[in-house]
Formats: sequence, C-alpha cells, structure tokens
Amino acid sequence: MSEAHPSIRVPLGPSSTPPAPSGDAAAGEVPPLARPTITPPIDIHDGPEGLTLEADLPGATEENLIIQLEHNVLSLDARLVAPAPEGARPIHQEFPLGDYHRSFILSDDVDRERITAELKNGVLKVFLPKADRARARRIEIKS
Amino acid sequence: MTGPDWRGGWDPFHEFQREMGRLFQSFDPFQSLRHIRTFPPINIYVAGDEFLLAAQIPGLAPDEVELTVTSETVTLRGERKRPEGIKDDSYRRQERFMGRWSRTITLPDRVDESKVSAQFVDGVLTVRLPRAEGARPRHIAVSSPS
Repeated sequence: MSEAHPSIRVPLGPSSTPPAPSGDAAAGEVPPLARPTITPPIDIHDGPEGLTLEADLPGATEENLIIQLEHNVLSLDARLVAPAPEGARPIHQEFPLGDYHRSFILSDDVDRERITAELKNGVLKVFLPKADRARARRIEIKS
Repeated sequence: MTGPDWRGGWDPFHEFQREMGRLFQSFDPFQSLRHIRTFPPINIYVAGDEFLLAAQIPGLAPDEVELTVTSETVTLRGERKRPEGIKDDSYRRQERFMGRWSRTITLPDRVDESKVSAQFVDGVLTVRLPRAEGARPRHIAVSSPS
C-alpha cells in the first residue's frame, strides 16, 4: 500500500513538452490509437473560489498522467497500465485497457496561471480558480 | 441539472458542457453504456497456478475496502462517500459513482484462502488467488450408460 505519498502534486505545463504530435488548432484531437480511448467519469462542483473538477482515473500515476493547457483547452491524458503481468490470460473483463482522455474548453473566467492538480487513490482533482473580477469583465465584452 | 443562470454571471461551465457533448459524440461511441456499468469493474486473469483479480476502485483508501475469500468466491464491499462540505446544488456535473457497493465473483476453481494476497495502489485493487491444491485440473473418464 503506497501510503508514503498520500497526495501527489501534478505540475501543470502550459503547452510545454506535449508528447503527442502537436495538433495546434485541433488540440482536443487524439492521434489514432490501437488501444481504446476511455472517457473517465467526472464530477464538477463550484465554490466561492472557483470550480473543482474530479476525474476517476484508476491506475493512473504521476508519471503517466499528462494535464495540458493549450490555448483554452484543458486536456487530461493517462495511460492505463495493465494490472496483470505479461502472459496472464484474461478470463473475465469488465474494464478495457486503454488510454484515458478527456478535454474541456475553459472560459476566460478561469485564472489559468493558478490552476492546480492533485492525484490520489486514482482520483484526479483539478482546481480551476476564478479569475479576478476586472479580468472577467474585460473578457465578457470581447465575447 | 442547473440552469444557465449562475451567480453573478461567472459561468465557465457553459463551455464545459458544450465541449463535453461534442467530445462524447466524436470519441465515445459507447456513451450510453458508460452510465450503466457496474462499480467497481473487475477483470480476472489466469497466471500460472493462480487467479489474479483486478478491481478499479478509485477514491477509496485501502482500509475502506473489505475483501472476503471463501473457497471459490471473492466478495468485495465498501462505500464511496462524497467529499464532505459540498452542497448538492453546487454540483455542475455528477458522473462518478458514489455510495455503497458490493461485488461477489465466483471463480472457476477453489483457491487457497491462506495464500491470498492483495494490494491497493492508485485506486486499483489487485488480489492474487492461488488455486487450492486439490483444485488442479483432473481428468475424469466419462462412461456412457447401457
């Protein structure tokens, strides 16, 4: 039981070191994969400081989870590591082995510089803080 | 769930919803199936002389999962609680399973309960279930009557 690191901080890099070929405008797209893409279930709730997004990503680790913010698209990608050793024969399968992927468009009301994320017991928690009032208002006019 | 009007006009979720709907259509052809799946999903493997059971139980700590093995049945039980201090009406989206759950799996063979071991890492429970000595395959001659 890995209780040594009960909580892991996941660094958020704004469009730095994307492992996938850069899609630029089509940032939400994933390249064709042999492994199935799994859409993780999420909860979103709001608080006075901002939104909290929680995603079930069982099997995801700090090493294989990538959270990217490119332009206004926040994307979550993680690889599900096989729970059985090589050569083990599946006799009953309820969850596929694939890659987690989900992406979201953030409005300008989110303060992108202060987004934080935490991974614990297979649950990713992303906090999306509210931008200050002045900034939000300016964006409102623009859109 | 909630209307578009939301406290003082800050509503980034508007965009969230639209985007998610779009993504579901393009990337998740089994969207309707996602919500009827059982919790926790379980995979079973055979590796040599043992069974390997893997269950995806995100959000629970190891001591919150009850595991019982008897002969050839494995029972998993627990409760997934919502984070405290969050009001129901502050949820913009709720897709994750919460509440009490239990699963019972019957294995094809008896296992040696004393040799069962389990570990719980990153929301995945892995149980190693070595087959009982007497449960190894035996050949039985089938005779026809008369």
